Amino acid sequence: MLAYILRRLWQMVPTLFGVMLLLFILFNWVGGDPSYILAGKSFSAETLANIRHQLGLDKSLPEQFLIFVQQVLTLDFGTSWSTQQPVADILGSRIGPSLTLALPMLLVSLLLSVIIAAIVAYVRGSLTDRIVTLICTLAMSVSALVYIIAGQYWLAHKLGWFPILGWSDSLATNLWLYVPLPLLLGLVVSLAPDIRFYRSCFVEEMNHDYVRTARAKGLSEQVIMLKHVMRNALIPVVTSLMMSLPYLFLGALLLERFFGIPGMGNEVLNAVDRSDFPVIKAITIYVALATMLFNLLADIVYKLIDPRVQLK
Amino acid sequence: MMKKRILVATIAALAAVGAQAADMNKVLHVAFNVPETGFDPAKVSDTYSGSILENVFDPLVTYDYLARPAKVIPNTTVALPTVSADGKVYTFKLKPGIYFAPDAAFKGQKRELTAADYAYSIKRHLDPTINSPWSFLVDGRFVGADALVKAAGKGALNYDTPVEGIKVLDKYTLQLTLNEGNYNFLQILAMPAFGAVAREAIEAYASNTNAKPVGTGPYTLKEWKPGNKIILEANPNFRKLVINGQTLPKVGRVEVSIIEEEQPLWLAFVNKQLDISGIPQAALQEALVIDPKNPLNVKLQDKYAKQGIQLERKKDLEITYQFFNMQDPVVGGDAKEKIALRRAIAMAFPRSETIATIRRGQAVPVNYVIPEGVAGYNPAFKGAVKYDPAAANALLDRFGYKVGADGLRTLPDGKPLSIEMATGTSGIDKQWNEYWQKAFDSLKIKLTFKYGKWNELNKANRQNKLQMWGLAWGADYPDGENFMQLLYGKNAGDANSANFKNAEYDRLFEASLKLPDGAERNKLYDAMNKIVAAQQPWIFGDTRVRSQLAHRYVKNFKLHPLLNTTWRYIDLQK
Repeated sequence: MLAYILRRLWQMVPTLFGVMLLLFILFNWVGGDPSYILAGKSFSAETLANIRHQLGLDKSLPEQFLIFVQQVLTLDFGTSWSTQQPVADILGSRIGPSLTLALPMLLVSLLLSVIIAAIVAYVRGSLTDRIVTLICTLAMSVSALVYIIAGQYWLAHKLGWFPILGWSDSLATNLWLYVPLPLLLGLVVSLAPDIRFYRSCFVEEMNHDYVRTARAKGLSEQVIMLKHVMRNALIPVVTSLMMSLPYLFLGALLLERFFGIPGMGNEVLNAVDRSDFPVIKAITIYVALATMLFNLLADIVYKLIDPRVQLK
Repeated sequence: MMKKRILVATIAALAAVGAQAADMNKVLHVAFNVPETGFDPAKVSDTYSGSILENVFDPLVTYDYLARPAKVIPNTTVALPTVSADGKVYTFKLKPGIYFAPDAAFKGQKRELTAADYAYSIKRHLDPTINSPWSFLVDGRFVGADALVKAAGKGALNYDTPVEGIKVLDKYTLQLTLNEGNYNFLQILAMPAFGAVAREAIEAYASNTNAKPVGTGPYTLKEWKPGNKIILEANPNFRKLVINGQTLPKVGRVEVSIIEEEQPLWLAFVNKQLDISGIPQAALQEALVIDPKNPLNVKLQDKYAKQGIQLERKKDLEITYQFFNMQDPVVGGDAKEKIALRRAIAMAFPRSETIATIRRGQAVPVNYVIPEGVAGYNPAFKGAVKYDPAAANALLDRFGYKVGADGLRTLPDGKPLSIEMATGTSGIDKQWNEYWQKAFDSLKIKLTFKYGKWNELNKANRQNKLQMWGLAWGADYPDGENFMQLLYGKNAGDANSANFKNAEYDRLFEASLKLPDGAERNKLYDAMNKIVAAQQPWIFGDTRVRSQLAHRYVKNFKLHPLLNTTWRYIDLQK
């Protein structure tokens, strides 16, 4: 196991290098020149040259890439080109609010969708299954934006059950006052596709020969579902979960924008809009690292769930 | 007039209660719809950051809150400066006893504002290591400053080197000597970017001056969460500022939320999470009753009027325009057929329709390079062409732009005619593009779009790679010069995005610089506008009219044409 983990960690190096190269090429190709934002609305060629010099944009591309490599190795991405705030401070202040919303959303969504999916898979073909499938299909055909706009309008504005938007320095206040509505709307958006996906995983497992054998042996349906089917169906659930985890760091863009949550999602958008490469670099690298680490974790969890899985 | 009287009466009535310092229990909630970038006066130029600068720093002079048209008045000076007969030497006398907000940089001492602070603050705009976005307002302006900048090379300015044009005569006296007389100089100095900073504070926070603004203004920065929240608190060291008997500021704390989406912005106001707000485009019909015959004639919807919500309207000091690159071989140049092409395109664009639909009637057409409210504006001048696609087609026919076999026009020499217009990628850009496409289709001219972010298009334009692009220009100061310079030949490739070069225009512009606002200068401006109308480097756009709302309990609510915020004058009586 340790050898496998070390090998996988070693394999991350070329992958990360590839991500860096791709990001660097993309930014220099379509990212926009931030010096034209910083210079203001009227400026001389000298001012522009000075700004480019200070940002290091007058260096050759290989030199700029080497600086990028150095930043990744030290995990020090310098200061934002737009606000001149240290990138570490920016990300440090954004990650908390993003996780405060996204983590409960992921956990509650996972719990509810797995339970509902297991139930409808168990009664597949029944009226309940059909109604849930229909609701999920309808729910998936509506844009997330519609839920957010309608939810904010009706639940916060018309009914006054929640504040329109806001964020506090207190975690308790956030969880009690500001998170519930975006959390609810986030769940509405994510539940339908998750239920559909997990249901199909459960149904597929339930059609396997071992389930028929278990029934033939006289095992109760509950034991078959909870002990055998659930365990085997967890592999795609874990895969889906692990794939979702890195995106927790990116936050929920629309929810953050509509509900005034100072999370990572809004920061990404502003950084792209302002061609703020240090912030874009940092976020991309952290998400890439998180993706690779959670993929590794997923493989290890597979092994724990199903001992037949061989880690090679 | 009536509103002004009521406001003055309100202020007078409040004054009768007695002057009072800021009430720290009163919190004003407002919002920006675009994130700010920072609070170093020499480093930021966006409106939103400027709104904070306005409250934290003190320029030498400012604008009278109530006077219309806008009037420059002393701020930290005892009076307006004395000006030499040739208009080049300005001498400012500072009021003694003005102090910076308490800050660790002052090591526990109360720090008084001095003339040296203004000298230092002005010099920062010249510092090559700062790259001030306002350097265009000071470059070449002060006697001896060019030598100082040249000596600095790419390094930092030596602030201790004496400069003839930026001289501290004594602790409270600052003398600024200009290379050329300039009638707008005081208006430039009234801009928030020219507020006083303290050298020791700037040096103490050198690595992050954007986050540590220390000024003498009515408020001080308490907390900043970039792109999310800005909290200001009344500056405990703020001088006693009494206007109409009222001690300012009234409100102890200002909380600014950044709300970029229209719906939450509007709902937050309606639900009283915000005290003051603009009306987002999507909520205009919900908030206002707009007279269909005259959309500028608006009133609040009954349900809001009954709540006592106050409506204030302001015509922006701005123009929007679509420019042609005058150096471009297809759309540029002085030849008659080129002018005809530009004019035909202008004639085919349905400006009234875009004002009615995209602007929801909340804009007025531009007919003069200078907008209303800015010195030099001439309401009688109609510089924009009339919408007439049939006449536009006839004009193109006359100048040899024949329709080819593919149904599209060619250049007079028979080569294909295709025009590329630069544009952004937002939803509103798409709406504009649909109208432009219709206009070009009506002329049978092939139109393509070059999509890009603003900075990339700006770069392309400066590299002379664009043919057409739409821009807006808001007044830095309310003088016609700030707008007429947009077509001055020496500014080509910079503020003169159209790269327009016309010797007569330039001659008139240079002559206008030597004149104060008045009939003589206006004559020159009219002549310059005639050249613009004849050459058509621009297609005139519109000037937007903004609406701002405040709840019943917000007192002294009145918009100013130039000040971004009026928080220091506001009181809350919930």
